[in-house]
Amino acid sequence: MARKDTMSALKRRGLSDEIVEKLLSKFKSVEEVAGASPRALSGSGLTDEEIEQVAGKLSGRQKKAGGRKAAKKEEVREEKKKLEVYIPVKSTPLTELQARMVDIVKEMGLDLPMKIIIDISERIEGIDVPEGTIRKILKKAKERFDEHTMDANESSGIIAAQSIGEPGTQMTMRTFHYAGVAEINVTLGLPRLIEIVDARRIPSTPMMEVHIDPKIRGDVDRVRKIASEIEATTLLDIADIETDIVNMKVVVHPDERKMSQKGIGMEDVHKRVAKLRGLKGLVELADGKLVISSDEPSFKKLQGIVDAVRDCKIKGIDNIKRAILRKTADEFVIYTEGSNLQKVLEVENVDKTRTTTNCIQEIFEVLEVEAARNAIVNEASRTLEEQGLTVDIRHIMLVADLMTNDGDVKAIGRHGISGRKSSVLARAAFEITATHLLHAAITGEVDHLDGVAENIIVGQPVTLGTGAVNLVYTPVRRQKNG
Amino acid sequence: MDECPGHFGHIDLAMPVIHVGFVKEIKKLLQSTCRSCGRLLLTEEQAKEYTEAMESVEEMGGDAMDVRLLSKETAKDAASRPVCPHCGAEQLKITLDKPTTFREDGHKLTPKEVRERLERIPDDDLVPLGIDPKACRPEWMVLTALPVPPVTVRPSITLESGDRSEDDLTHKLVDVLRINQRLRENRDAGAPQLIVEDLWELLQYHVTTYFDNQTSGIPPARHRSGRPLKTLVQRLKGKEGRFRSNLSGKRVNFSARTVISPDPALSINEVGVPYEAARELTVPVYATPNNLPLLKEIVKRGPSPPNEDYKPGVNYVIRPDGRRIRVTDKNAESVAETVDVNFVVERHLMDGDVVLFNRQPSLHRMSMMAHSVRVMPWKTFRLNLCVCPPYNADFDGDEMNLHVLQSEEARAEALILMKVQEHILSPRFGGPVIGAIHDHITGCFLLTHRNPKFTREETLFMLSRVKHRPLPEPIEEKGEKYWTGKQLFSIILPEDFRITFRASICRKCNECLKEKCDLDAYVRIRNGELLYGTIDEKAIGSFKGKIVDKVARDYGSEAAKNIIDNLTRLAIGAIMVEGFTTGIDDEDIPEEAKRQIEDVLQDAAKRVDDLVAAYREGILEQLPGRSLEETLEVEVMKVLGRARDEAGQIAGRHLGLENSAVIMARSGARGSMLNLSQMAGCIGQQAVRGERLSRGYWNRTLPHFRKGDLGAQARGFVTNSYKSGLTPTEFFFHSMGGREGLVDTAVRTSRSGYMQRRLINALEDLKLKQDGTVRNTADMVVQFRYGEDGIDPCRSVQGDAIDVDDLLVEVLGDEAELLAKIEEKKVAGYATIEKDLMEMEEEEEFEEPEFEGGGEE
Repeated sequence: MARKDTMSALKRRGLSDEIVEKLLSKFKSVEEVAGASPRALSGSGLTDEEIEQVAGKLSGRQKKAGGRKAAKKEEVREEKKKLEVYIPVKSTPLTELQARMVDIVKEMGLDLPMKIIIDISERIEGIDVPEGTIRKILKKAKERFDEHTMDANESSGIIAAQSIGEPGTQMTMRTFHYAGVAEINVTLGLPRLIEIVDARRIPSTPMMEVHIDPKIRGDVDRVRKIASEIEATTLLDIADIETDIVNMKVVVHPDERKMSQKGIGMEDVHKRVAKLRGLKGLVELADGKLVISSDEPSFKKLQGIVDAVRDCKIKGIDNIKRAILRKTADEFVIYTEGSNLQKVLEVENVDKTRTTTNCIQEIFEVLEVEAARNAIVNEASRTLEEQGLTVDIRHIMLVADLMTNDGDVKAIGRHGISGRKSSVLARAAFEITATHLLHAAITGEVDHLDGVAENIIVGQPVTLGTGAVNLVYTPVRRQKNG
Repeated sequence: MDECPGHFGHIDLAMPVIHVGFVKEIKKLLQSTCRSCGRLLLTEEQAKEYTEAMESVEEMGGDAMDVRLLSKETAKDAASRPVCPHCGAEQLKITLDKPTTFREDGHKLTPKEVRERLERIPDDDLVPLGIDPKACRPEWMVLTALPVPPVTVRPSITLESGDRSEDDLTHKLVDVLRINQRLRENRDAGAPQLIVEDLWELLQYHVTTYFDNQTSGIPPARHRSGRPLKTLVQRLKGKEGRFRSNLSGKRVNFSARTVISPDPALSINEVGVPYEAARELTVPVYATPNNLPLLKEIVKRGPSPPNEDYKPGVNYVIRPDGRRIRVTDKNAESVAETVDVNFVVERHLMDGDVVLFNRQPSLHRMSMMAHSVRVMPWKTFRLNLCVCPPYNADFDGDEMNLHVLQSEEARAEALILMKVQEHILSPRFGGPVIGAIHDHITGCFLLTHRNPKFTREETLFMLSRVKHRPLPEPIEEKGEKYWTGKQLFSIILPEDFRITFRASICRKCNECLKEKCDLDAYVRIRNGELLYGTIDEKAIGSFKGKIVDKVARDYGSEAAKNIIDNLTRLAIGAIMVEGFTTGIDDEDIPEEAKRQIEDVLQDAAKRVDDLVAAYREGILEQLPGRSLEETLEVEVMKVLGRARDEAGQIAGRHLGLENSAVIMARSGARGSMLNLSQMAGCIGQQAVRGERLSRGYWNRTLPHFRKGDLGAQARGFVTNSYKSGLTPTEFFFHSMGGREGLVDTAVRTSRSGYMQRRLINALEDLKLKQDGTVRNTADMVVQFRYGEDGIDPCRSVQGDAIDVDDLLVEVLGDEAELLAKIEEKKVAGYATIEKDLMEMEEEEEFEEPEFEGGGEE
């Protein structure tokens, strides 16, 4: 029965009988066909040409059936292209002295980080230092730099983990108000650190910091206007909703003051509400009021209308619950509760180079891994710093680099990094022991004993530090003296 | 003899049963293969494609997770096909009735049928499903025989009464055997199908629980006493399981544990070990022609020579053939005779032996360091106070562990890498973790603040335990010879030491008076001479001590060890000469001040009442983005917070630097000005979850107040000080705030512990390779250059690659003094203004947990 329906549905879409037959040998519904990857389609014996045809005819449904990740990702990518992304120049241009020093460093063949050169130049800027002395300074700097590098075979990973984990015991558990913005609650301390390390999709308190283009960022009114554009406004925010049970109607009384504050006209509201699902043709605009009459005499339906109308978004961006202005030294910054980076970046006059969110996954989706990696570093070090704990940024960078090593953000833990270790023993020793061992049996896994946990289990020296090297000693036979 | 570990046997099962661990796998296989021909439900091309994908995953170094995901996808694809592409048979829906029953369109599939189907799957079709046909055949997931491990795996215990108590596994095997036998008899006797099936199911249950006694959906098998049996999976799983408890961590010999106590006379590298422990812990010494006479002498002393004038004895002697001879007082002489080259003598611990010393929780590498032994009387481990911070130890009953190294390699490694002095600089932030604490800081403060004078007797008393440079010429005044405190401090510094920074007592004035600072807070050391300033936490403290930091960095760990040892001894000497005490009268403030504080608090209470009244009348101005209630709370908190601060300031005005408690707070030795103002002035608002107290009774916190009272007193503002004493309601509110702190600490330790375990597990395999990249054990590059610059955080200067100021001084020499001076307003040596401000905040944060955790242990 269902098969017949599917067949006719497919035919209605203009596919030939032949193709439909083939498709049905494998798929049971139209959705399934639409959602199937080309590979899956080819499995049903279709030629490439036919596959294209199928995809073309069904593409209208593609989005609806696009529960598949790939389809979603493509969507995001497409939209991303619309954003004009450019790489901001954050460092100030080199001064004359710095440029000269860079040249000297190059000429001398020294490999020094820019930061050291700038640090030195800052100290001697404006003082006439002979070039010979500069050379001497740079040479010495390189010497010291080399002395301070890490030794080979150092277990940098464990040191990083300990350095981040140890201060965890000193952190607070409470959520605090974000420094500077008392109005917004932000998770801080240990829970936030755990959240970052877990690579949670949505943080418990998503928040954005929206910067405005330099030209208008000092202008309160314009910034406020942008803020009101960003903030999601529901009908309830600007109007009172009344249910008229006698006449089976819902009446919306708009609040003039609030509406003009947000710059919303009655027409907009009408348009928005009329677009709601199931309200087609039921919404009327009558002397400054919005009257929605139910098309069937049922209280359930009436209640449904009230719920739908109340949460109807009139203006703004989804997920952004609140937007608050804050004046910093020379600009107004918008802080928001809730986060939606993609949409906010599309808003006009938003400074795309400085606007951030504390939702790492969102940064990954919009700006890709490298940005996500930096976001992890920034968020983690800010969380630690905020608690008055100093942790070297290199440790945090290592954790962030490991989390983003595969091109997407992986959690620290059994679903992420630890679950993907190459050694069975290491995985079994961490969590879900039995499953790993049983699975190893059927796939015939081999443990090469490269890692730390495995070697401890079998009782050998680990492959880090002094255990990573072997000493081979060839004794020289001493001549026997008479 | 006892060498054979035993052999496996097996029980032939009368009917096959399913292995619980593999039910999911079996389900996947049944769903994705044909019910009649056993082939994978994919066309040839598809199967080939998936096989190739699987092979490429393996080739690209994919891990177990990748394999699992791909095989899942394959199975899903195959399972969705209603008709077999090979034989055309229609496929029925296979469902799994947890835990072990399979159904096909509602009809039960017996394990026998399942096994038959699995047997039909050809080897080639297994590869895309993630099964290696060389390692395993799918029908093996349905058991026809049950392996029986040897008794060494399940030893029985003989009780004193002579009864034998069998292992849980044995019990379970007995059950299996019994049911198996009954099943076989019934089946062979041709019993009704129903009975056979029941027994079969029972057998399945027993075999299931034999593997995993926590399978969801079935009741766990229990011991007679009602305790659930510990079967195979339970043995391996979890914190007490084989993996974490016996394989990743093991019990060791040659270790000791006892209470710790302080001993300022020890070096930071040393640990005091009681005689009793030293006589048990031994070091193996290999006899050579060179040490033979000495060893014989040691063996002759036997296992218990007198403790006065401690000398090591011997517990065991190991002969070259491997036999271990216990040395007793009786046989000591005769054993000593036999000792010869190639014997190993297990000698008692003696001064200078290297041991590892550890305190749990071992959160970082500084939790386990190598010390050299000093054998001493009494029964505690003794350690220098400066190593308390890295171990996070105190002496309120803490115990620590000690491990004696048993091989020459281990000793060498411990000496070079693990010695305490090698861990003065922390890899966490590139600063010192070992440094002066508490009284050491007070001592140095008293010694150097405002440069007091000391007579010859006092000076010699202080320096009696210090190894130092020669004393400088004393200052003569009125015919008496004096040494100043700064002179005395200088003699423990390296000779060419130079540094400039601001002390902890610095008030962060807008414009620094530098040398002319009236608080003596501007520290300047040139050529190993303390010219100006006070030595306090900023100079020598753990975590902050700039002098310790610089010495460790520039002069090496040995010099750093010496300066810490000397520093603490000098500080103890100084505090003993000066005398130091604190008591509740340190918080005495004049009546006048008390009145002022009272006025401030009354004023605040009135302002709160005004706010509440405004709120009730609805004329309170709402803050943007806040509700009216929230606005009120914020305003009230602001007013009360300010009142507390003001009260503290009034109290603080009457507490000067001549006050011992203030000296401790300001120099960073212990406590904070906040603590003091709470003792002398006013304790302030008590909070739970960052809000004023509001819960308890209906609309009120306690029945002592009116319903809906929003005033200061009714919502947990404590106007009294710790000294004046709290009223009953205040006391109750205060304990509410205190309780929150305790709960917070308890929750925090477990959460952060788990986070650290996960972090360590994820990062443990990363190491810095010879080429400067950071890679994991699969040789995947995680960073091309460690930390983007390759600098070891441990060697960095508070995170910076090099100390530029120091570099300039070194290169430019004395002419740079002028240049540096120009820059000093911006960058003053180690300390910049911004950094100072940050550390200010840090202090406040640090105090809280300390205060809460004070009386905990």
